[in-house]
Amino acid sequence: MQKKICMLGGFSVGKTSLVRRFVQSIFSDTYLTTVGVKIDKKSVALPNRTVDLILWDLAGEDDIGSFRVSNVRGATGLVLVADGTRAATLAVALTLRERVEAEFGAMPFVLLFNKSDLRDRWAISDREIDEFRQLGWQIYLTSALSGEHVDDAFHQLASMVTA
Amino acid sequence: MTSSLDPIRLPQSAASIDTEIDRAALALLLVEIARNVDPEHHARFDDVPASDHRMETLRQLLVGREISELSRVTHLLGEAEQFADAVGGVLPSATARAPHVQLGEALAPAVERAVQRSIQKSPGTLTDILYPVFLPAIRKSIGEKIDQTFQSLNETLRHIFTWHGLKWRFESWRTGASFSEVVLKHSLVYRVEHVFLINRKSGLLIAHVTADNATSEDPQLISSMLSAIQDFVKDSFHEKEQSGLDTIRFGELRLWSEVGPFATLVAVIRGNPPEELHEIVRDVLLRIHDEYALALEQFDGDNSQLVGIETRLQTCVDMKQEDSQQGFPWLVVAAVLLVSIPAAVWLFLSWQSGQRWQAYVSRLEAQAGIIVAEQKVYGGQFYISGLRDPLATDPQSLLSGTQVDPAQVHSQWQFYQSLEPEFVLKRLTASLAPPGSVLLSIVEGRIVAEGEAPDTWIERARAAARQLSAGGPEFDISKVRDMSPEARAAERWQAYVSRLVAQPGIIVAEQTARGGQFYISGLRDPLGADPQSLLSGTQVDPARVHSRWQFYQSLEPEFVLKRLTASLAPPESVLLSIVQGRLVAEGEAPANWINRARAAAEQLSADGVVLDVSQLRELNLAELNYLREAIQATDIFFYSGKAVPGPEQTPVLDRLADQIKEFAQKARKSGATARFMLTGHADATGRETANVSISASRAETVRALLNKRGVAPELLVVRGAGTFEPVVPENSRTGSSTNRRVSITISLE
Repeated sequence: MQKKICMLGGFSVGKTSLVRRFVQSIFSDTYLTTVGVKIDKKSVALPNRTVDLILWDLAGEDDIGSFRVSNVRGATGLVLVADGTRAATLAVALTLRERVEAEFGAMPFVLLFNKSDLRDRWAISDREIDEFRQLGWQIYLTSALSGEHVDDAFHQLASMVTA
Repeated sequence: MTSSLDPIRLPQSAASIDTEIDRAALALLLVEIARNVDPEHHARFDDVPASDHRMETLRQLLVGREISELSRVTHLLGEAEQFADAVGGVLPSATARAPHVQLGEALAPAVERAVQRSIQKSPGTLTDILYPVFLPAIRKSIGEKIDQTFQSLNETLRHIFTWHGLKWRFESWRTGASFSEVVLKHSLVYRVEHVFLINRKSGLLIAHVTADNATSEDPQLISSMLSAIQDFVKDSFHEKEQSGLDTIRFGELRLWSEVGPFATLVAVIRGNPPEELHEIVRDVLLRIHDEYALALEQFDGDNSQLVGIETRLQTCVDMKQEDSQQGFPWLVVAAVLLVSIPAAVWLFLSWQSGQRWQAYVSRLEAQAGIIVAEQKVYGGQFYISGLRDPLATDPQSLLSGTQVDPAQVHSQWQFYQSLEPEFVLKRLTASLAPPGSVLLSIVEGRIVAEGEAPDTWIERARAAARQLSAGGPEFDISKVRDMSPEARAAERWQAYVSRLVAQPGIIVAEQTARGGQFYISGLRDPLGADPQSLLSGTQVDPARVHSRWQFYQSLEPEFVLKRLTASLAPPESVLLSIVQGRLVAEGEAPANWINRARAAAEQLSADGVVLDVSQLRELNLAELNYLREAIQATDIFFYSGKAVPGPEQTPVLDRLADQIKEFAQKARKSGATARFMLTGHADATGRETANVSISASRAETVRALLNKRGVAPELLVVRGAGTFEPVVPENSRTGSSTNRRVSITISLE
């Protein structure tokens, strides 16, 4: 079982570094700047089966207009990534999700607030996060540096997309 | 209750929410009805009609609204136009809500008929609809065909003049395939290493098959990346076309993708694949789509529904064309050698014959009396033309030793008279025939005659000198002295003597000229030429010649032969000849002649002359003897007292004449002469002298009769025997007819 997952997030939110340590990859980061897409794979072992998440790491761009939504076609889940130290990136991630849903309909997603190791520069309030959780969203505070919650997030998404 | 009230039951649900019913009117109505039900009441209201209008009012009160609604619906259903409007309003959403499979089943026949009808009506409409679908497919197909053609042309051109090209041309000749096919077979060496079947929507890998020994990174990642790249290209250049990237090429590696409705097939090919491979790949993709249409459409990352799809893909991976390692192409080398060796030999030979020809031409040019005007070599033949003096060397004879094939030489020579002194000298020598005492030579370009010559010759030489061409060499005869008559006579005598010496059968022992007289002595064979007769034509005066010849027998074969012919007189059937200095006798001869020849041979051997008689065969005389018996047994009979035979003897005489002639001829052939003795006989009656006389007369008569029948008279000898040689004894009175006869005896000489 394999599933196409798109990782969406603004520029420099750490999507690339997030996957770098935790996924199988054969393509270099330059693909992102050349083709605009980099494909990685994350195998997640669920109780009854193993799911291969084919992660489409889409180039993070602040200019949302140039986002190539066509890359998301066929995806069954999203990984939204925001930089916990830059509040604006949350808006970018949410806008990107809105665009995707407008095009392809609603799909399961997890929202990652990355750079959780930079506590002192944290810019997202717990209340805000709780509000999202109230909506039933799956929120993870992750750190590419420590690897905190990264596996949890993928595991969660895997069980969501195969449900 | 009447049946007209039945509809009230139908809209039961509507009745339960009857909030708008006039309750007061209903109550009044119910009281009325109760009265009617009560018989007393009924009696009080006799004028109440059978059909109570209040019932109608009640009905209006209870179901008035439903009735009006029902009538609206009925009206709606009854009016086709309105009904159509109504159905039209709900049809789209009804269709959307209907189960797709059933709806499809139900609509299919109608849609098919509709399409059929549309095509019948106006094919253009459907063509216009399908045009955007077909056009790219047709364009792609044509494009591939053109690519294929160019590929074939390209490869053919690229290899046409190479060593490979030569090899392949030979192969094409050997196998009967066209040259371009062979070129493509060898130059298009490829192997399909991977085949990816990728979900078109998500880019997820549906299936992946790899060739033996081919490696690659994670196919799932590659598959997604490939579709990402497809999207990238499509987005970057705003390409609207449905098909994706056809070909990606990287060095030896090519990625060919074929796009289907739900899945894209990507073949990774190493090498140089033929364009036809596109079709094969597309065919595989088409078949996969046919077989797994539903599973492909609904693919969500779980390929458990697509079992067996790898087998289909495997057919693509199995395709490859590898250059057969044929080793060193001996066959080609042999073929090339076969062609080039004769070519080289031919080139060498033609160069060599050209060299030889040039050598011959320079030889001709160096020749006096030959002027080469033009020469050329054309098509292996040699052509030469020019002038030649008839006295110059024959150009044809100069060919010998030059190794130029005379058959290939075509010459055209015009005769001319060369004025070069040597040719003038030759011509003078030929025309003037100078005597031995005159020497002609060339001195400083002039022709000089020296010596002694008769005055007549000097006269002719002077005339010739005057007639020589102007510009040619001068003929100087001033140094020729006139010859004295004595000297001339002596010269003539010497010519005569040398003539005698050369003669066979003449041996000159001594000769001298003294005081104007000539003396000669020697031996001569009588069978040789007469020395006197040889004088004629020598201009030697016979009166001044004094000869003394002794006879001798020359042992030279021709003289011996002459003598033998004279002495042995060989029969016609014997030939005497000289073979390599020996005398040979061959043929048939009578035994006695052969004996004589042997005796002669023995005698000759003493003188050292060989006479070969071994080839003589003895003449077969059996037939002759038989003939002789036959002739000698013949008698010609006469009547008493008659010297002429009776007419009954005529056939005997005829036969006898023939036999005699035949015998004589055969005897002559074998070198003998036959004599026939005709002896006349008489019977014992009469006087003896008369008998002798009549017997001789009888023999004479027979001789005359035989002569008359063609027998030569000299062969016939006659005599009269009288009564002295009787055949039978007789008494003299009656006589015997048997004894009156002529008998014949033969003698051979």
